[in-house]
Amino acid sequence: MLGFVAAFAAGVGGLVLLALSGWFLTAAALAGASGAMAIAGFNYLIPSAAIRGLAVVRTAARYGERLWSHEAALHALAGLRSTLFARLAHAEGRSAPDLASGDASARLIGDIAALEDLVVRRPGIPAAFGTMLIGLGAVALAGWLAALLLVAVLALLLTALAALPPRLSAAPAAEAAEATARLRRMLVDYAAARNEIITYGLADRVTALLVAEADRLDDAQRKLARIEAASSGLLILASALAAATTLLSSAASPPLTALAMLAATASIEAVAAIARSSAREAAVAEGTERLRVLLALPAPQSEPTVAAAPATLGLDTADFAPGSRIALTGASGSGKTQVIEALAGLRAPAHSLTLGGTAVAALPGAAICQQVALAPQEPMLIAGTVADNLRLARPGIDTAAMEQALRTAQLWERIQRMPQGLDTMLGEDGGILSGGERKRLSLARALLADRPWLLLDEPTEGLDSATEAALVAALRAWLDARGAGLLIASHRPVPLALAQAQVPVERVAPAAG
Amino acid sequence: MRIAKAAGFAWTSDIIGASVFAWGAASALEAQLQGTAGIAAGAALMLLGGLLRLASQYGAQVIGFDAGRALARLRRGELFPRLLAIAGPSAPALGATATLGIDHVAAEQARAARFDPVRKSATLAPVLVVLVVALQSRVAALILFLTLIPFVIGMILAGGAARQAADRQMAAITALSALYVDRIRHLPIIRHFAAEDRIARQAGGAAQDVAERTIAVLRAAFLSSAVLEFFAALSVALVAVYCGFSLLGLLPFTPPEQLDYRAAFFVLVMAPEFYLPMRRLAAAYHEKQLGEAAEKALEEVPEPVPRPAASSQVALRDVVVAWPGHRIGPISFELGARGLVCVTGPTGSGKTSLLAAIAGQVAPSEGMLATLPAEAIAWAGQVPLLLPTTLDDNLLLGRPDAAATDVAEAARAVGLDALLARRADGLATAIDHHGAWLSGGERRRLGLARALIADRALLLADEPTADLDTASAERIIALLVAEAQKRAVIVATHDERLAAAADQVIAL
Repeated sequence: MLGFVAAFAAGVGGLVLLALSGWFLTAAALAGASGAMAIAGFNYLIPSAAIRGLAVVRTAARYGERLWSHEAALHALAGLRSTLFARLAHAEGRSAPDLASGDASARLIGDIAALEDLVVRRPGIPAAFGTMLIGLGAVALAGWLAALLLVAVLALLLTALAALPPRLSAAPAAEAAEATARLRRMLVDYAAARNEIITYGLADRVTALLVAEADRLDDAQRKLARIEAASSGLLILASALAAATTLLSSAASPPLTALAMLAATASIEAVAAIARSSAREAAVAEGTERLRVLLALPAPQSEPTVAAAPATLGLDTADFAPGSRIALTGASGSGKTQVIEALAGLRAPAHSLTLGGTAVAALPGAAICQQVALAPQEPMLIAGTVADNLRLARPGIDTAAMEQALRTAQLWERIQRMPQGLDTMLGEDGGILSGGERKRLSLARALLADRPWLLLDEPTEGLDSATEAALVAALRAWLDARGAGLLIASHRPVPLALAQAQVPVERVAPAAG
Repeated sequence: MRIAKAAGFAWTSDIIGASVFAWGAASALEAQLQGTAGIAAGAALMLLGGLLRLASQYGAQVIGFDAGRALARLRRGELFPRLLAIAGPSAPALGATATLGIDHVAAEQARAARFDPVRKSATLAPVLVVLVVALQSRVAALILFLTLIPFVIGMILAGGAARQAADRQMAAITALSALYVDRIRHLPIIRHFAAEDRIARQAGGAAQDVAERTIAVLRAAFLSSAVLEFFAALSVALVAVYCGFSLLGLLPFTPPEQLDYRAAFFVLVMAPEFYLPMRRLAAAYHEKQLGEAAEKALEEVPEPVPRPAASSQVALRDVVVAWPGHRIGPISFELGARGLVCVTGPTGSGKTSLLAAIAGQVAPSEGMLATLPAEAIAWAGQVPLLLPTTLDDNLLLGRPDAAATDVAEAARAVGLDALLARRADGLATAIDHHGAWLSGGERRRLGLARALIADRALLLADEPTADLDTASAERIIALLVAEAQKRAVIVATHDERLAAAADQVIAL
């Protein structure tokens, strides 16, 4: 609301400033020509003060408009970001939209940013219409014919701008989007074949192909640029036309004619703001639609979390009581990771798996998560500090608990040596840690979750044998103390020795149906 | 660049149309005021001015686009080969390659198209306005010029702070976006630990926090545009008041000029044009920011590594290939003119990177590595390169002058003959870069056939048996074993049957 008022005041301020100046100048010329009497009778103080006052009002209003509209937009968008994130986070993991690729999530961010621009412009539109109407009122001072002609010019302009650019730009816009998508796919495909491109010296040939595709993209965008340029040119021509018709059709005195003529140009300028906003709206329509789909996800329902009783774990026909320690064996690529990720609720199960006697596929994600804690093959660390990653496991973890878990994972000394300790920033995907260290941090996180079952996928991959032995011993002590169950997949004999039972993954039958 | 200058001049030429319009309006109003003929002529001049401005603004935007396009073409020409010539872990990831090659180039293009021409005209056009105004009223020209002095001071004071503020705002928003991308990518593990609410609260808090900070920053940023607006409005007001008092003869000083109504009105209509170029510049500032950020990101694309000195055989002594968070090695082995070496290890252990180091495409961080010259190495990749041409051309990429019998022989050896028989055009069948109708296994065979046709002393093959059924895999293994009698073959694989057939196995 404040944004609208300020935008309106700024628009009208600008219009009145120019129109009043025109009137003042013309009236002054008339008075000046009519001799000393007329000059003495001419009240020049009020208009000249008003002109200077308007300069200040217009500046202040424009400043307020900018600030208030951005403030409203930023808060609205921050709210939208939170809502979207909460919706996404609470969606059922196995059926939620797949945004794991950097590309998809970056596009989401881009969509929100584009929307932000739109929200900022929003209060400007009714204000521009308001300014346009005030301008029309000022032109009416020059007579009904002048006003009618301005209405005609405005109507023509608004219809032309609303109808022509969208129709003309539809084909090149689609062409540009297609060419961009093609170029993106080509770049990704060719980048995947870099080794061969270098080996056979094909960089120039591949570049020529890419440049040719980019040229097609530029061709389409040049058409779009020409349409945009023509639209802005049309506005400036309409402004001259409106001024000329007002002048020719004016039935009023010269000062009022001057006022009306300048008001007519200012009301066309207001149309320019409307045209820019609607062009923007069309440009981001696709992104807005993508966001709408995500916002249509069901709102999160907070369910009370009750600590669940430990459940039995079923791998096909074999059932394991809580506290069992099981090794999943099999050659690489045989599906061990698939079984573990399905049990953790990360993917739809391809095998026959049960928890507490119910098929994992039929259990809600939340019920699965209460039973298992996963240290995945890819450590899946979030950008943030060491402590941020550990706190992910459950609410209310203190420093002592973190230290204990890191000691078990044989990572405490390394973290302690870091200048900021637990508050060290890791960067994206564990950034500054080595591959083995990331895995152990991920293991410490799973330990902190304190769930009935611990799922470990290749926990000691990339460790030297001394560290591996120490880690396995500490893990054994931890399992003994907590009485937690373990399902481990590994190629290596030392961690496999933790298990009491071995299940070859080939023995776990595929899920029925 | 000439075209970039032309766009700046086109924006500046807008002043000509504005002057014609102002002169027409002033003449028409004077005619009306004095009751003389000439209203229609004035109105015609106004329309002519409008047409001239249309031409200038249309031309400026189209020429600006072409200037941006010329720059983008130049960038792509040097960027694409660089993006494709860096291998191994330091090369930008696939998605990042596309972002660099498309989005960042587009940001630079937009800056060259929209910001740079407007910046050129922002210095030229105001000078032109002052000159045109001076022809009618030297005092009004002086007024416009004098408002420039406090304006410049104001911009130095507010503009510097605003620029910093705008840059900081962009940095904050970039950081927030990065946080969201990270959290969204890790949603599976966040859901696994039932941390949705906590992370959503944290992310929401970060968004509100950035919004608050951004608003504080904007207060400063908008101050510079307020300075601009104020002097734009003030220059109009001062010119109007001066001209009005001059026409009334009430000026407190003796003016050095006798102003008539036409001149006064002309000057009034021209006054807003003085600050218009600078307002256009302010409107394009965002493009400048994005363009600069993109330019920096493009500068950070690493250079290809220099090739190691050529040797007559492959020899590694304590070679370590390391990149942040990963380390392969130390590895030592030698391979003469013949023999089969298998590099094994789980996914992500760096087999392809080691192969790239042996090909001389990645510099080892420690140890001694000797390898054959580039012309003596053939590579059969995991996702082989396909160019949008015929199957035949794709097979010949390594040796364009190979005999047709060699091509047929290699295609048969890798088991592509069945595929060729199915296609009416055989080797002349067209394919696209995506290999639309080829399976993963067929693509791999094509890559291997190409490497065989290249007939080089060292054959590197990355997972040649993946995606193949048992019978096909055994055929490929037999083929590689046979090739190893003729040349040196190094294979990255996690296929135990292939490893069993090797002369040496390097486990990562």
